[in-house]
Amino acid sequence: MWLYLGKRLMLSVVIVLMAILVLFSMLHMIPGDPISIALGPRATPEVQAAYAAKMHLDKPLFYQFLIFIGNVLQGDLGEDVFSGRAVTQTLAEQLPYTIVLAVSALFWSALIGIPLGCFSAIRPNTWIDRVTGILSVGTIAVPSFLVSIWAILVFSITLRWLPVIGAGDEGDIVDQLRHLILPAFAVGLGWVGYLARMVRASMLEVMSENYIRSARAFGLRSRTVIFRYALKVAVLPTITLIGIGFGGLLSGTVFAEIIFARPGIGKVIYDMVLARNFPVVQGAVLATIALYVIVTLIADLVVSWLDPRVRDSL
Amino acid sequence: MTDLKASRRQFLQMAAYGGAATMLGTFPGISYSASGDTLTVRFDREMESLDPGYYVGGHPPNDVNWCVMPALVHYGDGPGGWVPSPYVEKIEVTDSTHIDFTLKKGLKWSGGFGEVTTADVAYSYDRMKESEWKGDYVAYDRVDIKDKYNGTIVLNQPFSPFMSATLASGTGIIVCKEAVEAAGGKYTIDIPATCGPYVFEHKQAQYVKMRPNPDWSGPKPPYANIDCIFVTEAEAGALAYEAGELDCTKITSNSYARYNKNLPPNSKLTVAGALQYMWMGINTEHPKLKDIRVRRAIQHAVDQASIIQGAYSGTAEPSFGVVCPGLVGKRDQASYSYDPGKAREMLAEAGASGLKLTLRTLNNQERILAAQIIQANLAAIGITVEVIPLDSGPFWEMGQESKGDTWKDLELWIMRYGAGTDPYEPFQWFVRDQVGIWNWERWSSDEFEDLFAQGVAETDPDKRHKIYIRMQEIMEDTGGYVWLTHEPEVFIHRADIDARFAPSGEMQMAYFKAK
Repeated sequence: MWLYLGKRLMLSVVIVLMAILVLFSMLHMIPGDPISIALGPRATPEVQAAYAAKMHLDKPLFYQFLIFIGNVLQGDLGEDVFSGRAVTQTLAEQLPYTIVLAVSALFWSALIGIPLGCFSAIRPNTWIDRVTGILSVGTIAVPSFLVSIWAILVFSITLRWLPVIGAGDEGDIVDQLRHLILPAFAVGLGWVGYLARMVRASMLEVMSENYIRSARAFGLRSRTVIFRYALKVAVLPTITLIGIGFGGLLSGTVFAEIIFARPGIGKVIYDMVLARNFPVVQGAVLATIALYVIVTLIADLVVSWLDPRVRDSL
Repeated sequence: MTDLKASRRQFLQMAAYGGAATMLGTFPGISYSASGDTLTVRFDREMESLDPGYYVGGHPPNDVNWCVMPALVHYGDGPGGWVPSPYVEKIEVTDSTHIDFTLKKGLKWSGGFGEVTTADVAYSYDRMKESEWKGDYVAYDRVDIKDKYNGTIVLNQPFSPFMSATLASGTGIIVCKEAVEAAGGKYTIDIPATCGPYVFEHKQAQYVKMRPNPDWSGPKPPYANIDCIFVTEAEAGALAYEAGELDCTKITSNSYARYNKNLPPNSKLTVAGALQYMWMGINTEHPKLKDIRVRRAIQHAVDQASIIQGAYSGTAEPSFGVVCPGLVGKRDQASYSYDPGKAREMLAEAGASGLKLTLRTLNNQERILAAQIIQANLAAIGITVEVIPLDSGPFWEMGQESKGDTWKDLELWIMRYGAGTDPYEPFQWFVRDQVGIWNWERWSSDEFEDLFAQGVAETDPDKRHKIYIRMQEIMEDTGGYVWLTHEPEVFIHRADIDARFAPSGEMQMAYFKAK
C-alpha cells in the first residue's frame, strides 16, 4: 500500500507540473499584448512599464517560467492586478464555497443515484428498470445551466420558496443552506443519472458472478447478498467515476456559480477573465487543477484500499 | 433623457442656481424598500479600481464613489444637467472660465485625515490632468485656493460642458490629498480615505455593502443600507429581480423587449440614457477599400433596420452619427439609405467584383448577430464576408499601430464607444492625431480639425449644433462609417422606488428614494 501511495503521489506531482507548464504556455499564447490585456487600452506608458516590471513581463519567457514555478512551489500565486491582494487570499476565501457546492451536489446525487441503480439492477427489464433508465438518461442529457434556470423559474420566481443569488448571510447556517439547495440541485441532477447507470451496470455484472450464485445457493437472504457482497464490489468503479468525474462536477459548479451569483472559484475565474485580472485567473485555474488531482488521488487510494488488485496495476 | 444644451444665458441661470445650493445640495428623505431600509441592486462586474484617475469603466466604480466620496456637483435635473452636491455650500459659474465654490464645513475624511478642504479639490483636479482620464480635463487649468473652504476653478478656455461632462461625471470625484499621497499617489479598491453618507465593505466577486457613515455630518440619504451584489450575467440578474431579490438591475435588449410586453408586477423600466454609439468601421487605406465607390456601396448595402430588429429586438435607437440622443449635434438622418440596387451599381462602377472581406467584431451575442446580418446584406450585393469574432484583448488592439501589424489587415469591423454628456467627447477619437490609435478608419481632414477646436470653445448651442452636424457629415463622406445603433442603458426597478441614474448609465444610489 505504501509503495502504491508513493507512486501515486509522484504521478500527481508530475501531473501538476505538466498542468503548470500548459497553463503558463496558454497564457502566453493568448493573442495580444498581455500588458494591454491586463491594464486596458487607456493605460499610460509609465503604468504599462511599471506593470511589466512588477509581473516580470520584461524578462525572457524561460526566465518568467522559472519565476512562475519558483513562486508556485513557495505557495506564492502572485497578486491581484487591481487590488494588490495576494491571490492565495482570494482563493482561500472562494475555494470553500466551491468545495461545499461540489460535495453537496455529489452527496445528494449519490444518495439518490446509487440506490436507484441498485433498485434497477435487482429488477432488470421490468417497467421500474425502464422508467429508471429513461429518467437517468434524461438527467444526464439536460445541461446543468438549463436545470439552474428551470429551478429558479419554478422554486424562486413562481413558488418563492428558495433564494436565487448569493451564498447567504455569514454566520447564518440556515440561510446558507437555503442558498445552497438550488445550486446543489442543479449541479447534482446529472450525476444522479450517471451514478444510477454505472451502479446498475456494475451490479448486473457482479450479480452474475459465481460467488453471488454460491451465496444464493447457500440460502443467504437476498438483502445480505445484494448489500453485503454485490454492492461492495459493484461500487468500486463508481468511486473511480466520482473521482474522475469531479473535474466535470467543477465545470458544473462554474455555471451554477455564475447563474446563482454564488461565490466560488468558477465565478472568480469568469469574473476575473472579464476583468482581465490574469494573475487571479492563473491562480484559480491552478487551484482547480490541484483540487482535481487531490480528489482523483483520494478516489484511487480508496479503490486500492477496497480492492488490493488495483495496487499491483500501477 | 435630459437635454444637455447650455448657453450663456444658461450660465447665468446656473449661477443663480448655485445660490440655492444649500437648499438643493441634499439627499431626499428617509426611504424603505421591500426589504426595509436596505436597497439591493446588481453590479454587473467586479471593480478593478475606484481611483477616478485610473478606473477602467464607469460602472460600478462611479456608483460606489458617488456614495462614499465628495464631488462638487452631481448629475441632476438642473438647467445644465447638474445639481450642487451635498458637499458644497454653494457653487457658482461666475463667467465662462471661472467657477467659484464654497465647501461645507465639518465634512471629515475617514482615518483621521481631517476635513475636506479646497486643497483636496485642487490636488484632485491637478492629479486628473496627469491621469488616464486626462481627456476629461482638457479645459481645466487650476484651482485658486482662497481659504480652507473657498476656491475658484479656472479654465484655460471657455468650455460650457465642464460642469456636467467633467465635474458631475465619475472623474469629478475629490480625493483626500494627504491620504492619497501617503498611499503613493494612486490606489485601486482600498480607498485611502473616504467621506460620504456611507462607508463600504467589499468582498471580492460577492458584494459591496454600504452602511451609514457614523462620522457623516451631511444630510442623511434615503436608504440607510445599500447592498450591491455582483451578478455578472445580465439574464441571471433579471431572474433574481423577478424573484424579488433585487430592487434594481440593468437589463439587456432581450429582457427590455420582453418586459416591454409583459412587465412584472410593481416594476418600472427606466431608460437611463443611450450614450453609446455603434458603427461599422471601414479602413479607408486598405487596398480593397481604397476606392470610395466601394465604401459608399457598403454604406448603401447595410440594412440598419434589420440589425436593430434582429440583434436588438427593436430596442436600440438608429444611429446617424457619433453624437448620442439628447445631445447637441444629434443627426436625424444619414446622407445614404439602404438601397442594395444602388450599392450593386456603385460596385459595378468601381469594377469591384468577387470582393472578399473580413468583418471583425467583439464576441458577444448582439454584435455577432449584427455581423451576421451585415454578412447577409453584403452577400446580396456580391461581397463575401468572413465574420471574425474576437475577445476584448486582441479586439481593442487591432487598429493600434503600436500593438502590431493587424491594423494593416483591418477591413471592416463593428465598433462601439461610450460617450460623455457633451458632444465634443466622441469627436476627440477621430482627429488626425488619433490615426493609428483610435481613428482606425485612417482618414483626416483640415476642416474637421478646425471644427473640433471651434466646437470645444463655442458656448452657443445652435452654433455647436451646426459644427457637430458638419463634423459628422465629414466623417460620413469619407465612406468609412456605416452608422448602426445607440444602445440604451435600461434598468428595471420597483415601481415604488424613485430611481435616479446618471446619463452615462450608472446608478446614483444615494438619491434613490421610496415613493
